[in-house]
Amino acid sequence: MQTDLKKTPQPPIKKLEAKLLPGEIVVNEVSFVRKCIGADSSHGDLWGKLICTNFKVSFITHDALPKQRFQVANRLLGEHDVPLACVEQVVTVNDAKGKQKVLCSNQKLKFNPTELILYCKDFRIIRFRFDEAGPQSAKKVCLAIAHYSQPADPQLLFGFEYIGKQYYGSLGEQVNGVDPGGGLQMPLFDRPSEWDREIKRTGAAEWRVCSINEGYVVSPSLPEYFVVPVSLADQDLKQYLCFFTAHRIPLWCWNHPNGSALVRMASISDPLQQRKLDQRICSAITKSHPQRSDVLKSDLDKNLPNIQDIQAAFVKVRQICVIEPFEESEEKWLSSMESSRWLEYVRAFLKHSAEVVYLLEGKHVSVILQEEEDRDLSCVVSSLVQLMLDPHFRSLTGFQSLVQKEWVMAGHRFLHRCNHLKKNDKEESPLFQLFLDCVWQIINQYPAAFEFTETYLTVLSDSMWIPVFSTFLFNCPQQRTENSMDFAKSKCIPMGEEKALRFPPVWDWSQQFTPKDQALFNNPMYVGKGATCVQNGTVKSFRRTKKNYSSTLRGMPSSLRNILMDGHDSLTLSRRNSLVPRLKPDFSQIREVVESPTERFFRDWVSRPADLQGMLIPQLLPSHLALWRLYFLRWVPEASIPKGGPVTAYHKLSQLADEVEKLQSQLRQYKGATPASTTTSTPSAPQSDHSRMYFKAGSTHESSSTPEYLSSSFPFSPVGNMCRRSILGTPLSKFLNGAKIWLSTETLANEAL
Amino acid sequence: MDSNKEEPQLLPKESVQDMAKDVTYICPYIGALRGTLTVTNYRLFFRCMDREPAFVLDLPLGVVSRVEKIGGASSRGEVSYGLVCKDIRNLRFAHKQMEDSLRKSIFEILMKFAFPVSNGLPIFAFEYGQVYPENGWKVYDAQAEYKRQGIPNESWRITKVNDHYEVCDTYPSNLVVPVNIPDEELKRVAAFRAKGRIPVLSWIHPESQATVTRCSQPMVGVNGKRSKDDEKYLQAIMDANAQSHKLFIFDARPSVNAAANKMKGGGYESEDAYQNAELVFLDIHNIHVMRESLRKLKEVVYPNIEESHWLSNLESTHWLEHIKLILAGALRIADKVESGKTSVVVHCSDGWDRTAQLTSLAMLMLDGHYRTIRGFQVLLEKEWLSFGHRFQLRIGHGDKNHTDADRSPVFLQFIDCVWQITRQFPAAFEFNEYFLVTILDHMYSCLFGTFMCNSEQQRVKEELPKKTVSLWAYINSQLEEFTNPLYVNYSNHVLFPVVSMRHLELWVGYYIRWNPRMRPQEPVHQRYKELLAKRAELQKRVEELQRDVTNRSASSTERAGSPTRSITPVQTFV
Repeated sequence: MQTDLKKTPQPPIKKLEAKLLPGEIVVNEVSFVRKCIGADSSHGDLWGKLICTNFKVSFITHDALPKQRFQVANRLLGEHDVPLACVEQVVTVNDAKGKQKVLCSNQKLKFNPTELILYCKDFRIIRFRFDEAGPQSAKKVCLAIAHYSQPADPQLLFGFEYIGKQYYGSLGEQVNGVDPGGGLQMPLFDRPSEWDREIKRTGAAEWRVCSINEGYVVSPSLPEYFVVPVSLADQDLKQYLCFFTAHRIPLWCWNHPNGSALVRMASISDPLQQRKLDQRICSAITKSHPQRSDVLKSDLDKNLPNIQDIQAAFVKVRQICVIEPFEESEEKWLSSMESSRWLEYVRAFLKHSAEVVYLLEGKHVSVILQEEEDRDLSCVVSSLVQLMLDPHFRSLTGFQSLVQKEWVMAGHRFLHRCNHLKKNDKEESPLFQLFLDCVWQIINQYPAAFEFTETYLTVLSDSMWIPVFSTFLFNCPQQRTENSMDFAKSKCIPMGEEKALRFPPVWDWSQQFTPKDQALFNNPMYVGKGATCVQNGTVKSFRRTKKNYSSTLRGMPSSLRNILMDGHDSLTLSRRNSLVPRLKPDFSQIREVVESPTERFFRDWVSRPADLQGMLIPQLLPSHLALWRLYFLRWVPEASIPKGGPVTAYHKLSQLADEVEKLQSQLRQYKGATPASTTTSTPSAPQSDHSRMYFKAGSTHESSSTPEYLSSSFPFSPVGNMCRRSILGTPLSKFLNGAKIWLSTETLANEAL
Repeated sequence: MDSNKEEPQLLPKESVQDMAKDVTYICPYIGALRGTLTVTNYRLFFRCMDREPAFVLDLPLGVVSRVEKIGGASSRGEVSYGLVCKDIRNLRFAHKQMEDSLRKSIFEILMKFAFPVSNGLPIFAFEYGQVYPENGWKVYDAQAEYKRQGIPNESWRITKVNDHYEVCDTYPSNLVVPVNIPDEELKRVAAFRAKGRIPVLSWIHPESQATVTRCSQPMVGVNGKRSKDDEKYLQAIMDANAQSHKLFIFDARPSVNAAANKMKGGGYESEDAYQNAELVFLDIHNIHVMRESLRKLKEVVYPNIEESHWLSNLESTHWLEHIKLILAGALRIADKVESGKTSVVVHCSDGWDRTAQLTSLAMLMLDGHYRTIRGFQVLLEKEWLSFGHRFQLRIGHGDKNHTDADRSPVFLQFIDCVWQITRQFPAAFEFNEYFLVTILDHMYSCLFGTFMCNSEQQRVKEELPKKTVSLWAYINSQLEEFTNPLYVNYSNHVLFPVVSMRHLELWVGYYIRWNPRMRPQEPVHQRYKELLAKRAELQKRVEELQRDVTNRSASSTERAGSPTRSITPVQTFV
C-alpha cells in the first residue's frame, strides 16, 4: 500500500505510532496522509499517519508546524488528535469524480476518498488529503471514523473502557495519575453531608436533606439526596411525588441571606391536583422563610426560548462564525448575528435571571423556577441567579460546585443534549454552552469579579467532547450507576462496594492539563476573599480623583447617576417621542410610560459603584452584549489578531499579580522566621511554580513586553484547525450546493449519489 | 461639583448672563425635573433642588448645535425648547411664558451665547484665562517632529516656500519635499493640485525610507490635463525610496466619485501619465454621507435603544461600515509601507478630511511614538491641525447655521477608529478611553483654542497661541487621568488591526454614555492600578523588614560571616 511514492516532499520513513490511553485500541490506520495546514496552498502541510482508535482520530507526524504558534496541550490528546466524541460530521470527498458524502455509522462508500473533512463540535474543521495514501486503507479509516464516532450505546463511549481498565490493574493504582474525585477539594453533591454544608453555608435553617430517593427508588432522574423544607415530611413528599412530571418534586437550590429561597421544580402533571399541591408547596416554602415571605413562581417554559430554538440559534451562529466565507459575510455580519438570535437568547436568559434576582433581593420573596421537566432551562436560570447573588460561586471551586449541583445532580441530560450517541438530533441542544456564554457576558462586564478566565470557560466547554468525565457523560446520576453496573457485569469488573464506576469528574483538571497550563484559568484581577484584595487607604488614592481644573463636561454622567439613586417615581420615554423635531409642547403623555420596579431596581443598582463581592447584575442593554470571540472565533485565522486581543492585557496583569504574590510570600516568610533564632529558614524567592499566574513577572525588559506568540486566539491556534473547503479553490457554497446550514446528514447523503 | 449651590462654579472670565427659576428639564430617562437654569457666556447649568442628591446638568454651550422653540404656548402657559447637541444627545426644557413680553426668555439669551460667532461675540476660548503649568501650544514643533523622523536627510528637505502661506494657504509653513525639486517647481506642482495642496511628506519609515505623502487631487479635468512637473515630482517621491520601484497612490474616494470630480476640474492620476505608479481607490464616502450616517446612529442610540433589532438597526446606520472602510484603507497604507517597503501618496479631493484620517491612522499603526499621549497630540497637531482640517467649518463653532453642509463628523470618525484599535491592542497605547472622550468633548466645548479655526494660517492670524489656552495644557497637567496603566512600550512594533466586523464594535462609552442604565467604567485599568498600589505597599514593607533584619544581624556580631538573608531584588516594570 506504500508503493506509489514518486513526488517530493518525501513522506518520512520513521515509524509513527499512536500514543494510546489505557483501554484504547487502534481500529484502523493509513499512512502517507497529508494534513492541510496552509490557508491558500499545500505549503506547510504535514505528512503522517492517520489513525482511528476507539477514542480518537489521531494524526501522527514528525513534521513540525510551520508557523510560530501556541496551543495549550491536553494530556489526554496529541497535538493533532480529535476525540471521536468531538466529531460532528465526517465528510469524504473524491475531487476527481466530483463526489462527496457525509458518512454515517455502518455505511458504504462507493468511491475512494481523496479527502476527509472532519467538522468538529468545538468548531474546528480539519482536512486530510489521501493523494499519496493507499486508497483502500484510506477508505477503511474514513469508514471507521464514521462508525466509531456514532456509538450505538452509551457503554461504547470510550470512558467505560478507560475507567474499566483501572479495575484490572493493581488495585488502587491510578490511571494516568488520576484519583477520581478523591483529591478534589469541592463538593460533588452526591453525599448528604455536602448538602448539609451548603445548607449551613447559606443559613437555610428551615431546610433539610431528604434521602427518600436513595437508590433512586422514587425518581430515576433526581439525585439521591436533595434539600426540602423542614415542614415537609418524607411521607408528604412520597404522597406528592406522583403528581409531578417524572416524579420531580421541588428541589431547593439556594438561600438568600435575607431568608428567601430559590427552588426549582417540574410541572404538576395532574391538573386536578394543581391548586392543592401548589398551595402546599408554597406554604411549606413560606414556613421555611424567617419572615414568612411570599413565594413567587416563574414559569420558564412560557418566558424563555425552548431547547430547539436554542439549538437552531447555535447552528446559525456557528454557521456565520466558522463556515461562511469570511469576506462575503462581512457586509451583513450584524444582521446575520441578529437573525441567528443567539445573543437575543443569551440576553433573554440573563434578563430573566436578573428579574429573579430582583424578586429574591429586592422583594425578599422566595422564588420557584418551574419548567415542564426541570432539567434544562432551570439549570441555566438557577445557576445564573446564584452567580449574580452569591460571590462564592464566582470562585473556581464555587463555580464547579454550582455546575455539579444545578446541572449534573439535578439531572441535566448531558448525554442527550451533547448528542454523544448521535442518534437523537432533536434532543441535541447547547444549553450548557448557552450558560457558559451568559457567564462570559458577566465576566466581560465585571472582569474582576470571577476567579476564573474565559479560557477556563472555553476549556470547560471543550471537555464536553472528551467522553471520560462523569460530568458530561450521562443524563442523570442514576444512569451512571445503571450503566456502570451493566458494564462491570459484562466485563467482569470487580466493583467491590462501589455503586458506580469511578468516572472522574472533569473538575480534576490535572487529568487534562499540567499545573502550568492550569494557571491559564486564574484571573489575575480577581477580587475575592482569598485573593489579593486591596480595600485599604492606599487604593483609594488611586480612584479617579477630582480634577484640579474644571473641564465641566465630566460632571454630566455622574450627576445623572446621582439623581437616579433616589427612589422617586421615574419615567421613561420611548425613543421616538424624544426626538426634538417631533417634540410636542405638551409632554403630559410622557408620564404614561412608567418604569417597572424591576427596571428601577436595576438602574438604582447601576448608579452605585459595583461591589464585586456582592450582588452583580449584568447590564442588559442590547448594546452591552457581545459576541464571545474567543469561543466562537478562536479557530478563524482571518479573525485572529496577532499580538493583540484581551490576552495582551491579561499578560500584563498576570505579571503584576505574580509580582504581588511573590512579595506577599516574601513577607510571610519574614514574619514566619523568628528574627532572634539561629535561622535556617532563609527567606528566599518563592518557587515560581507555586504561582497562580501563567505569566510570571520577569526580571528583564523583554519579558514584560508582549510575547510574539500571543494572539486573540490564545491559548488556541487556528493553524491546522480551520481548513475550510473554500481555501483550496472550490468555494464552500458550491461545495454545499446551497445547503444553508452546517451540513445536515440528509442533505449531503442525498447529494452524494 | 459643589452640589449645594444653585449656580455653577465659574471659570476665570466666565460670567452669569441669565438665570431662571422654575424651569423644567424633561429628562428622557427619569421624566420632568423642575429646577433653576443658569446661562453663562460658557455654559448651561441646570440644577434640580427637589432631589437628593441634587440633579445637575452642566454643559458647555459649544456642544449645542441648535435651539428650537417647540410649538406655541401650551394650555398651562409653558413654552418648550429643544436643544440638539453635537455630542449625541438632545435636551428638552420647558418654562412659563414670560408675563412681561419685553423681557427676553432665558433661551434667547442662551441662543446668543451658544452661537457667539453668529451674534458678533467672541468665542469663550478667547476669554478663558486659566493658567496651566505647561504651555500646550509648545507640544508640537514641526521641525522637532521632522527631526525625530530623521529629516532633513539626503532625499528630503524642509522647504520655506510656504512660510507666508503663499503657495498654499491651508498648509503649514514647514513642508517636507524631495531634495531635488526646487521651490520654483513646487509652485508649478501646486498649480496642478487642488487648492495648491502639493504632495508633501507626512512620515518616513526609519529603516526602509518608504514614505507616506499627502496631497489633494490633481486638476485633471474632463480633458485629462497633465502636468510634467507633477509627474516628475511623484517620480522624485518614488526615487527617494531606493527599496522600491513603485509608487502607490491611494485615492480615498470611491472611483465613481473620483471620476465625477473631473467635471469640476479635479480627478485622479492616470497610470499612463504616472509611470510606475499604481492607483488604488479606497471607497471611503464623502462628508455628507458621514454626516447622514451619524444622524441615523444618533436616532438609534439616543435616548433609548430598542430592545429588539439592535444589531440590524445599527447596521442600517452604516456607521461601523464607514469606520471599517477607513481603517481598512489605513491598514493597506501601513502594510504597503511596512511590508512592501513602498512609498505611498494619499489624497482624496481636497486632502483635508479623508486624507487626514488615513495618514494619521496609518502613522498610528506604523509608529509607536504616536501611541504615547504626547505623540498622539503631535499627530493631531500635525496631520489634522497644521494640514488644515477645517475644524471651524466641520464643527461649526459658535455658528447657529446648523444645516451648514460643511459640517461633518470626520474627526469623530477618526477618534472612533483610534478607539477601535485600542480595543484590539489594549496594551499598545499610553492613553486611555477617557483621553479620547476628553478630546472629543473639548473639540465642541470651545473652552480651548486647539480646535479653533480652519488652518495654521488662520490660527497665526488670530494669535491663538497668545490668546487662548491649548487643550494639551489641560491634559498634560493631569496625565494620570489619561494614562492607560496597561501600556507596554511596543517600541517599533507595527500594529496591524483586524479590520473586520467581527471585531469592530460600537463605542458605547461614547455614544451611549448618557444612558443611565449603562455603567461607565474601566474595571481592568482600575484593578491594575489597585495592584500597582498593592505592590508598592508590599515593596515598602518588605524593604522595611529587610532593613530590620540587616540592622539586627549587624548588631548581633556573634555570628561570623554576612547575613544569609538576601532578598531577590524586586523588579519594577511600568
